[in-house]
Amino acid sequence: MSSLLALLFPPSTTRNMELSADVLIILASAAIIFYLTRWHRWKYLWREWLTTVDHKKIGIMYLIAAVTMLFRGGTDALLLRAQLAVPNNHLLGPLHYDEIFTTHGTIMIFFMAMPLIFAMFNIAIPLMIGSRDVAFPRLNAISFWLFAFAAFLFNISFVIGGSPNAGWTAYPPLTELAFNPGVGQNYYLMALVVTGLGTTATGINFLVTILRMRAPGMTLMRMPMFAWTTLVTSVLILFAFPPLTVAMVLTLFDRLFGTAFFTIGRGGMPMMYVNLFWLFGHPEVYILVLPSFGIFSEVVATFSRKKLFGYSTMVYSVLAITFLSYGTWVHHFFTMGAGAAVNVFFGLSTILIAIPTGIKIFNWIFTMWNGRIKMTVAMMWALAFIPTFVVGGATGVMLGAVPGDYQFHNSYFLIAHFHNVIIGGTVFGLMSGVYYWWPKVTGRLLNERQGKWAFWLFFLGFWLTFMPQYALGFMGMTRRMYTYSHGFGWSSLNLISTIGAFVMGAGFVVMVYNFVWSQIHGEIDVTGDPWNGRTLEWSTPSPAPEYNFARIPVVTDRDAWWAMKQEQKTNVVQIKPQEITDIELPKSSGIPFLMGLSFFVFSVGMVFSWWWIAGAGFLGFVVCMLVGTFDYDDHKEVPRQEIQNTESAFGRLQG
Amino acid sequence: MFNNGDNKRHKVIAISPNGPTGNGDEVEARFLAPHFESDGFPWLQIFGYVGSLLLTIAALLAVVDHILPAFGLLVVILVLAVGQAALQLGIFMHLRESRGSTWHIVTLGLGIVIAIGLVGMSMWIMTFKSGVS
Ligand code: HEM
Ligand SMILES: [Cu+2]
Repeated sequence: MSSLLALLFPPSTTRNMELSADVLIILASAAIIFYLTRWHRWKYLWREWLTTVDHKKIGIMYLIAAVTMLFRGGTDALLLRAQLAVPNNHLLGPLHYDEIFTTHGTIMIFFMAMPLIFAMFNIAIPLMIGSRDVAFPRLNAISFWLFAFAAFLFNISFVIGGSPNAGWTAYPPLTELAFNPGVGQNYYLMALVVTGLGTTATGINFLVTILRMRAPGMTLMRMPMFAWTTLVTSVLILFAFPPLTVAMVLTLFDRLFGTAFFTIGRGGMPMMYVNLFWLFGHPEVYILVLPSFGIFSEVVATFSRKKLFGYSTMVYSVLAITFLSYGTWVHHFFTMGAGAAVNVFFGLSTILIAIPTGIKIFNWIFTMWNGRIKMTVAMMWALAFIPTFVVGGATGVMLGAVPGDYQFHNSYFLIAHFHNVIIGGTVFGLMSGVYYWWPKVTGRLLNERQGKWAFWLFFLGFWLTFMPQYALGFMGMTRRMYTYSHGFGWSSLNLISTIGAFVMGAGFVVMVYNFVWSQIHGEIDVTGDPWNGRTLEWSTPSPAPEYNFARIPVVTDRDAWWAMKQEQKTNVVQIKPQEITDIELPKSSGIPFLMGLSFFVFSVGMVFSWWWIAGAGFLGFVVCMLVGTFDYDDHKEVPRQEIQNTESAFGRLQG
Repeated sequence: MFNNGDNKRHKVIAISPNGPTGNGDEVEARFLAPHFESDGFPWLQIFGYVGSLLLTIAALLAVVDHILPAFGLLVVILVLAVGQAALQLGIFMHLRESRGSTWHIVTLGLGIVIAIGLVGMSMWIMTFKSGVS
């Protein structure tokens, strides 16, 4: 008994900070359970959300999960910055600091950025290409639940069993059992394997959806830019995630079953882990940023009232980036010393990538050129992206120059670089997308004034946080150090950086307030086309009905909806009662949720080496597979009467 | 066209209810509908599944029991891996279907180029044990 307690609650989970988190978690869970029971919402929750296969609802769930994870990752970030605010600080001890930067990085990449990207895919893509859902709706739900349960698994580590502490890159030998006893690292490995499975399935799903489910007439070169970037992101996912899964599973074998893949003393090779990790890791940064490139293209064109400048160059540069991004991964470990030839090759390929990226920047600028620009919040995020990303890209080229990298590597210069590209590229882009597409799935517009407050706080906070870090890097401050002493000249820059971080935190709070306020009081989007949009999603009412399109539109031009509006042919989306037919849709299913749960049980078993629990989880998974496979009753028919009622309620019925 | 469902679960939801538009969607309507039920019991798929498992177990045992010196082992597991890839491509990945075979070849070729590139470059990177700089 006491040994079980010692396993579940090692000393790292009984520090004051962790214990107060325990209290908060228990209170919050109790409040949620009370609310659901008091207002009889359990059934509703199960019927409408937990079992849904509707891409729009899955998108909303991804969005909620991502914002929650941004809160957790952001709290971690503020703790790290608070620790570094002044020299010789002891708010966090060294091990505690390690744990927090590990969870910060891992959560931000895998459980914040990735789901936010999938939120955008799910919300926008089927509507944009004129489809009724994704190609494999149930698989889509399975992806979501694998992600959700993996996120849950990862997040409980710090209160039960102990947090991982080897960084988001988790290099051996630090992750080997001998140097890292306890279960923390197992949490990291299992969470990444499970969410990685979900991500791979999402990649397949959107690849097939875009290649196979476009509305008639929408050729590849008539696709919206966001569909293109989603397509190539899906391809990147397919190639990038297997090496990650392999690296994770091999490490897990080393830890659980005594193999020695990465244990040098027994003939293993830790450098191979580094190689595998970045074989995933570099494509991953493009997985993170390409969707945002797509979002900018949509947002900039819409709010400049112009078609995208240089569409085909844009497509080719995206394809070039995709291909090149497979040949640059060594720039993350130049200093491992693979030799001059290797480093020169990968240094050059890295710098080469800046060319297609630069082309895209010019395309956006020329799209805005002479346009009638409308300064909405979505547009402001897109505009803010340009200077931010240019700085990040330029410092990336500096890092790509090998001799320079030997100086900058693992310093605060690197930290500033990748936050510059990940926040300035990925996060700004996703925020732009959230403000842009929010009305399409919720039916309400986000309040612009609050949104601008959130934007300015976040934007200014960002520069305040990360610009000093470039200087700190030059001054010799290395990443992942938990404190520093007086006399290096680092103190004031660190303090400024911490202040900036809290300004960003304030921006986040205003943004969440903005979301909640707008959901209650926000302006209702009656037209379905609040921005005078160009692509097909704006031809549907807001929020889009479950079946998306009462009749699938036929596409004749690149900006399909814009063309319809120009030619006064918007009535093609209005339908006559006699033209309505029944629509077949995928049916809700509990299997994806149960499958996620099975994986969760399996993972808990693996984390603690409780084999019978792992076995039970695996069995649950097999049962879900079998039941799902032979479930022929997976479609439902929406009767035409119901469609007629819905459409007439939106005022879209003719005659 | 395909909303008059005798074959309920195989309707494709993206096809225009306005009927075929001449943009290729009628082709998809015909092909996207899987027709494995008419083929009777899926012996082939079961064979592929069991075969893959056996090949994996064989590779594992060969390595765990060191049945050969290192080089021989490498050859054996490589052969087993290629065999398994062929099995899966042939049975589960629809490689033998004639439809869209150009696309199959293009994407498969690209996949192989990238895979070989990644493995080859990884080997190149990992040779540094001989000359650390
Ligand atoms: C012009 C484009 C870019 C170039 C030339 C570039 C170059 C580099 C180089 C050379 C490094 C390694 C530095 C070191 O470890 O010493 C690096 C690190 C990093 N970059 Fe970039 N990069 C670019 C764009 C991006 C983008 C778009 C993202 C993400 C959206 C990104 C995310 C990262 C991350 C996360 C790391 C650090 C990972 C770590 O070591 O923890 N980069 N970049
Ligand atoms: Cu990289």
